[in-house]
Amino acid sequence: MAKWGMVFDLRRCIGCNACAVACKQENSLPDGVFFTKTLSEEVGEYPDVTRSYVPTICNHCEDAPCERACPTGATYTRPDGIVMVDRDKCIGCGTCIVACPYDQRTRLEPEMLNKGLFGDGRLTPFEEQGIGRFTAGTVVKCTFCHERVDAGLLPACVATCPTEARIFGDLDDPHSRPRQLILERRGRQPLPEKNTNPRVFYID
Amino acid sequence: METLTQPVQNSMKPGKWLNSSCKMCIHSCTTRIHVSEDGVINKIEGNPTSPSNNGRLCPKGNAAILRHYDPARFRTPLRRTNPEKGPGVDPKWVPIGWDEALDLVGRELKKTLDEDPRKLMPAINDFQKLFLWAWPAALGNANYLSSVGNFCGGGYHPMNGFIHAAFAAANDVNYCNYWINNGGGDGFSSHLHTAAQANHVAKARVERNMRVVVVEPRLSIGAAKANEWVPIRPATDRQFALGLAHVLVAEKLYDAKFLKKDTNAPYLVGPDGYFVRNGEGKIYVWDAVDKRARLWDDPEIKDFALEGTYTVDGKPCRPAFQKFKDILADCAPEQMEKLTTVPAATTRRIAREFAKAAQIGSFIEIDGRVLPLRPAAYNYYRGAQGHKYSAMANHAFKLVNFLVGAIDTPGGHVGVTLDDQMQDIRGGFGTIQAGENGMLQTMPHQLHPEVPFSWPPNETHLMGFFPIGVDPGHLTQHTLANADKFGLDYRPDTLLMCHSNPLWNLPGDREQWYAMLRDMRFIVAIDILPNESNEWADVILPSHDLLESWNMTMIEPPHHEGMCLRQPATPPLYDTKSEEEIFYEISERLGLLETWNGILNFVNGFHQKPELLLEPTRKYSDREIAERKGKLWNGQDLDWYVEHGHAVTPRRPEKWYRPWEGLRLHFYLEDIVRARDTLRQKMEVADVPFRHEWEWGDYQPLPTAVPDPVHHERADFDLYAITFKDIQINFGESIGNPWINDIVFKDPVHTAVLLNPKAARERRLDEGDIVRIESPYGSIVAKLALSEGVHPDAVCVSNALSRVATQNTGVRHGGGNFNQLLPANLRHTDACSGQPETVAKVKLTKIASVPEAVAAGNSVFGQRSGRIGGKGRAH
Repeated sequence: MAKWGMVFDLRRCIGCNACAVACKQENSLPDGVFFTKTLSEEVGEYPDVTRSYVPTICNHCEDAPCERACPTGATYTRPDGIVMVDRDKCIGCGTCIVACPYDQRTRLEPEMLNKGLFGDGRLTPFEEQGIGRFTAGTVVKCTFCHERVDAGLLPACVATCPTEARIFGDLDDPHSRPRQLILERRGRQPLPEKNTNPRVFYID
Repeated sequence: METLTQPVQNSMKPGKWLNSSCKMCIHSCTTRIHVSEDGVINKIEGNPTSPSNNGRLCPKGNAAILRHYDPARFRTPLRRTNPEKGPGVDPKWVPIGWDEALDLVGRELKKTLDEDPRKLMPAINDFQKLFLWAWPAALGNANYLSSVGNFCGGGYHPMNGFIHAAFAAANDVNYCNYWINNGGGDGFSSHLHTAAQANHVAKARVERNMRVVVVEPRLSIGAAKANEWVPIRPATDRQFALGLAHVLVAEKLYDAKFLKKDTNAPYLVGPDGYFVRNGEGKIYVWDAVDKRARLWDDPEIKDFALEGTYTVDGKPCRPAFQKFKDILADCAPEQMEKLTTVPAATTRRIAREFAKAAQIGSFIEIDGRVLPLRPAAYNYYRGAQGHKYSAMANHAFKLVNFLVGAIDTPGGHVGVTLDDQMQDIRGGFGTIQAGENGMLQTMPHQLHPEVPFSWPPNETHLMGFFPIGVDPGHLTQHTLANADKFGLDYRPDTLLMCHSNPLWNLPGDREQWYAMLRDMRFIVAIDILPNESNEWADVILPSHDLLESWNMTMIEPPHHEGMCLRQPATPPLYDTKSEEEIFYEISERLGLLETWNGILNFVNGFHQKPELLLEPTRKYSDREIAERKGKLWNGQDLDWYVEHGHAVTPRRPEKWYRPWEGLRLHFYLEDIVRARDTLRQKMEVADVPFRHEWEWGDYQPLPTAVPDPVHHERADFDLYAITFKDIQINFGESIGNPWINDIVFKDPVHTAVLLNPKAARERRLDEGDIVRIESPYGSIVAKLALSEGVHPDAVCVSNALSRVATQNTGVRHGGGNFNQLLPANLRHTDACSGQPETVAKVKLTKIASVPEAVAAGNSVFGQRSGRIGGKGRAH
């Protein structure tokens, strides 16, 4: 059984957020909800200044604090390492949102689902078809595009990334591209002090 | 565990995939579109079989679904019922049927054409259906209201036509190791096939350690990813390039062999600026060994002199290279630094690094052909070239590449054709032809044939006065405001727009543009969504969008060629038509059907294959035109394209590298001198009253370091305002699409205008202040954000702030259109190329009360905006 993980190549990322939009169209996300997005920050002083672009996503932690915090068992980890939320069990208590050190979970409020992407209270045919996967009052987050992955495809954000800054694969396979990159370019996990053992690594 | 009977992810739902291509910018990345069983388009991805975009799409390409389903789309033909026209004034549309709409449009256009065809201004700007641009030829009228081309590249496109006989240019990512980007986002955020080029450039950066140096006033995406950001004062890019050239020449870091053998640099130039010719018109060079003049093709020449001063047939003369060297004597980096603010040591170091990386003298074998390898190139675009002396600026950047021999070589700076049908089939612009005296035939006209000079001018944009430029659409404002001076014996009163938004795109005073539109007797717009310009229309003819229509194109691919299919993914959502059908219907009503078919045959190249010819009296669908274009490219019918999606392949090396082999390139542009003198003579003969004020100094065969007039504005305008785009808003209208809004307005560089903190302190301004940005020509209002990534002399205005409130409620007001700050006059227009100045000198004034439009809930500034610097998260 593969253990899925992702590497972000910070040298490649141009902060374009094609990943965020691809995710929105793949997953029919309501307005303002992101399963992934790229942060940017200026670093330095003129003229010795640059801007860093840092993609973020659910880290599908090996020791997922969200899963431990969930009182109903709605958050669970699949055998392949993907951390999921079962909306039928989720009561929207928000404990997982507090527990996640990476700010990657969103509780769906009814108005998010009702106002529509164009904010006029009407849903486009695209939204009408996709919005049914969501239940108001439950918590959502990135699923590593579990259905695509099950079908042998790459997550939508990975597939579209113009610069190939997102590298997805089996972290248990020593020959996989992400494993090689982590080794060659000394991949770092986000907030290692939180002891969550993320399945997402950054290289620069 | 939740049990699901149906997949929740859109691409996994039952349905079908269709091959198509994108049109969210002007370029044509290939796509695959997923349509669910109930006919809903629910996912668009890049087509992984294309070697160009490699299955990748930019954020805009990912957002096409929401343009398709945008509730603001025009759903039927519409007729205005509110006689009052103005910005933000509701036209009070009423739906009408197609027959009524087309009859009305036909009747009104006919009336105008019968009076005076020059009174009808077409503004047709669909880049993926370039053949539509030729429709005005059916009217015998070149009086377009052009709002593209000159702004991005009045000097850019003709200069590429002079140097490469091509429309655009790119650095060759396949081999380049040292990539200078000056005022252009190629490979990072904008211009040619952005997702594709970002893909290839990222590989070169990371896998090959290609060094990137970005020269810009603002820390753009490219600058942020570069090995080195060189901040520069706006509108001084040419002086930076001349500083580099100075070092390359002074330190003999140039490719003498290339200059002698493959360019006109050794041709002798006389005091009148023309080459020195014998009685038969053949040009002289100087043989440095035999110390005598010889004709350029004399087989006895032992060595072409690049330097020196000579006398031939009694005329003092110098090789063109020496002429440039003389100019460069005044362009030492230390002198240029006074204008550019780039430290001389930096310029000197970059010049040396660039020359070293160029590996002058090295070769590479590609497909059995031995070619010079020059893996260093200087790329530039709109920001660097968009200045008054644009032709000179463009030429200066090209000359840096010339000096190291990096023109059209592997790893160098390479010409890019607008549409490859031009090169192989059309036989017109973009072809490689032998010119006189061993030189390449220059092709400055890349969009349409030269517009003949006329007096009084038949074109309000004066295109006949810019014989080697691109239509300076902005001058229409100037000529209409000074109709007597320009001898206008007519006044345009009818406007036809097709996917064009001149009120957004054109520089100049908004009120004057509004006045011009108010004076229009009749305006028709072919479009998809409401925008700044089409809210002035009397009739809207709604067209299919990119997911409902057929097309076949490949526009400006930086290093690929071929054809990309566009096909409908669903039947039209609304009562819309294709542009092809609309123009056929209008042409028929004007009695121009046969003429239009004749033009389409020519511009599409169908006359090259008689079986593809359109019959004169038939009307053709978008599908039929697309099928013919596909067949013309590779002989395959539409079924083949539907199955494969595209015929995109890497550009054939013989077309890509030195396609002009055996001809000499134009290091020295005698054509510009000739164009100047020909125009001057025409103006003399016609007794044009303003000929003495015409800026004849703009026509230079070699660039000089003379500062652009924007630097001479009044001293109290103490900052330079520039505008910029990033990849989320690259080309065309993007704001208003919820997914684009969702990423753009969370990015602090797009939610306020950017000023360097030091510059802010000096002016007692601070983060969050509402300021008036005032130029000598107009003003806008904005919220201020402080950014260390800004040159201290610059104010940077995101293009996301330049939309103004329209009938499209998704578009947020950003304080006014940047173009309002720019002049639309001759003084700030390059007489050589038609390029307007795109930088404005401004002053900032803090204002206490926020104007209503800016305070409104729909304004950009009504939204939460992040802080740029510091430790806080930007989102």
